[in-house]
Amino acid sequence: MNEEFKSKYHEKYAAAKQKGVKFWPDIIYKDLIVSFALFLLLIGLAAFVGIAQEPKADPNDANYIPRPEWYFLFLFEALKFVPGQIEWVGTALIPGIAILVLILLPFIDKNPYRNWKKRKVGVSMMSLVVVGIVGLTVRAVVTTPEQEEVSLAGSIAEQVIQGQDLYSIYCAECHQPDGEGGEVAGVEGLEGVILKPINSQDEMWTRTDETLFNIVDLGQQDLGMPPYGLGYGGELQRSEIEAVVAFMRYTWDERAEIPEEAIIGIPGLAEGEVPSYEVHISAVAKRYCVSCHRPDKENNEYLMQTYEEMLTTGDNADKNVVAGDLENYIIVTLHRESIFDTNGDEIIGPMPPSKEIKAEYIDMFERWVLAGMPETADEAAALSEPAAGEAAPEAEATPEP
Amino acid sequence: MAEKIYNWLDERLGLEAIYGTVLDRKVPKVNWWFTLGSASLFLAGMQAVTGIFLTMYYVPSPDKAYDSIQYIMNDVAFGWLIRGIHHWGASLMVVIVFLHMLRTFFYGAYKYPREITWLTGTFLLLFTLGMGFTGYLLPWNQRSFWATMVGTEIAGTVPLMGDFILKVLRGGTDLSAVTLARFFSAHIWILPAGIVSMISVHMYLIIRLGISNIPSEEE
Repeated sequence: MNEEFKSKYHEKYAAAKQKGVKFWPDIIYKDLIVSFALFLLLIGLAAFVGIAQEPKADPNDANYIPRPEWYFLFLFEALKFVPGQIEWVGTALIPGIAILVLILLPFIDKNPYRNWKKRKVGVSMMSLVVVGIVGLTVRAVVTTPEQEEVSLAGSIAEQVIQGQDLYSIYCAECHQPDGEGGEVAGVEGLEGVILKPINSQDEMWTRTDETLFNIVDLGQQDLGMPPYGLGYGGELQRSEIEAVVAFMRYTWDERAEIPEEAIIGIPGLAEGEVPSYEVHISAVAKRYCVSCHRPDKENNEYLMQTYEEMLTTGDNADKNVVAGDLENYIIVTLHRESIFDTNGDEIIGPMPPSKEIKAEYIDMFERWVLAGMPETADEAAALSEPAAGEAAPEAEATPEP
Repeated sequence: MAEKIYNWLDERLGLEAIYGTVLDRKVPKVNWWFTLGSASLFLAGMQAVTGIFLTMYYVPSPDKAYDSIQYIMNDVAFGWLIRGIHHWGASLMVVIVFLHMLRTFFYGAYKYPREITWLTGTFLLLFTLGMGFTGYLLPWNQRSFWATMVGTEIAGTVPLMGDFILKVLRGGTDLSAVTLARFFSAHIWILPAGIVSMISVHMYLIIRLGISNIPSEEE
C-alpha cells in the first residue's frame, strides 16, 4: 500500500471518527446487551438442554462410531473425498495451506480497497469457503449413523440392578446365585470343579473393586475362569463389569450399605394368590435358570429369557410347560427327578443341576402351571381367589395369548 | 470523602488517563456486527471462570475423570450449571469467534493499519479450536475417547513429521493416561497462556488504532 492510500485512509478514518459516537457509553451498551443475551442463552442451554450422558471410555470397544465435536465435522467429512493413498493432502496439505493463507491474509491480499464491491474475488472466495464448511457440516450430521443406545447405569442403585441381571446370566452358572460356590454342575469343561464361595467376608474385605474388576475382565485362567472383558475375548463392556462389581460389593460386603431402591427380591405369594410371569416367574427364572437357558448353551434348546420362549422353545417344547399338569418337565426336574426317554436314557437331569431351589419357588411354579401360566399381573389377579374362605373355583387354563 | 479517595488513587494509578484513553474516546458509528469481538471476550471470560471452578473437582486420570464429572453433575451444588455453561460456552465461542472473523473479513478491517490485530485474531481462532479439541477428551467418555483417537490419528498422517506429532499429542503411541494428562495441561495452562497473551496484544491494538469504520463505496 503506498503512502497516498495510507494518508487517504487516515483522512477518511478521522472523518468517520468525527461523525462517530463515544466508546463509552454508546459502544459499550450494545456490547453489554449482546453479552447479556449470550449469558442468558448459555444458562438456558445448560438448564433446559443439558449435556447428553455418555458411557465411560472403553478402549476395547472398537465398534464405537467416533464423532468429533461438531465444529470439526466438516474436516472429517472433507476427508471422505480424498483417496486413501493421498490422504495427507486432505489431512495436512489443504488445511495447512488454508490456515497459512488465513493468518497471512493481510500480507497476501494487496488490494487496498475495503468495500466488498471492490474486492469481489476475495469476498466470493471466502463466501465459497463458508458455504463449503456449512454444507460439509450439514452433510456430516445427516450421514453419520446413530450411535446404538447403550444402557447407562447412573446411580448406584441402577448399577446394582444391572449388575444383578448380568451376574445371574454370566456368573451364577458356576458361582451360584448368591456367590456361595460349591460343585459346578452342567458347565462344559468345569464339571465337578469345586468353587470356593466368593461372597464371604474373606473375599470381600481383601479384594478391592479394582481387583474384582480385573478378575472379571481378565479371568483367572489357571483356575478355569475365562475372561469376560470385551478386550480379552469376553462379552462384557467396562461399564457392565463395573455393574457386576457394584452388585457383588453392595450385596455381599456388609460394610457397603445397599441403597433401598436397589433391593430386588423375589416377591412372596399370599395364600390363594396366583403368580404371574411378569412379577414372579421371571424373577425366579432370571436368578436360577437363565444363566444356562439362553442361546449358545447346552440346554436342549430350551430358552427361558422371555414368556414366549419359556412356553414355546426347546426340544421338548410340548412337555416343558403344560397348563394344569404337574407332571410337566419343569416341575418334575425342579423336584430333582430326572426325565428319561423311551430307552431309559436320562435326557434331562434335576434342575438347577447344582442345588435345589427353595420349596417356596417350586410352589410358585406349580401354582402358575395350575392356573394356566398367566403372563401379566392383571391376568394373574383375575385368576386369584378373591378372599380366603370362599370356594375355590377350579383353575382353568387361559387360552394362549 | 469519596472524592478524596478517588484523587488519592488517581494521583498514583492515573485513573483519569486510563478513562481518557480507554473509555472516553470517539469511535466511528458502527452496527451490531461490531459487538462480536466483545462477545468473544465475554465468552472467553465465562469459560475461564467456569473452567476454574471445574478444576476444583475434576481429576485428570483415566480412573477418576469420568466419575469426577458424574460427581460434578450430580453432587456438587450447581455443578451441573457450571459444567453446562462451560460445555455450551465452548460451542458458542467457536461460533462467535468465527463470525467475528467473518465480520472482520467482509468489512476489510484486516487491512492497513490493522494487520497485526488480524494476525493475533487468527491465532486466537486457532487457540479456540485447540481448546475445543483438548477439552473434548477430558470427560473421558466413549465419545471423547474415540473422537480423540481419530483426531490424533489424523494428525499422524502428516508427511514426514506425522509419527512425531502423533507421539507428542498422545505422549506415546497409544492414547493413555499420559494423553489425558497432557491434554488437561494444554487445556488449562498452555493454551490459556497463549490466549491471554494474544488477547492482550489484540486489545492494545484495538484501543491504539480504534475500531474500524464501515467502509464506504469509494474506500
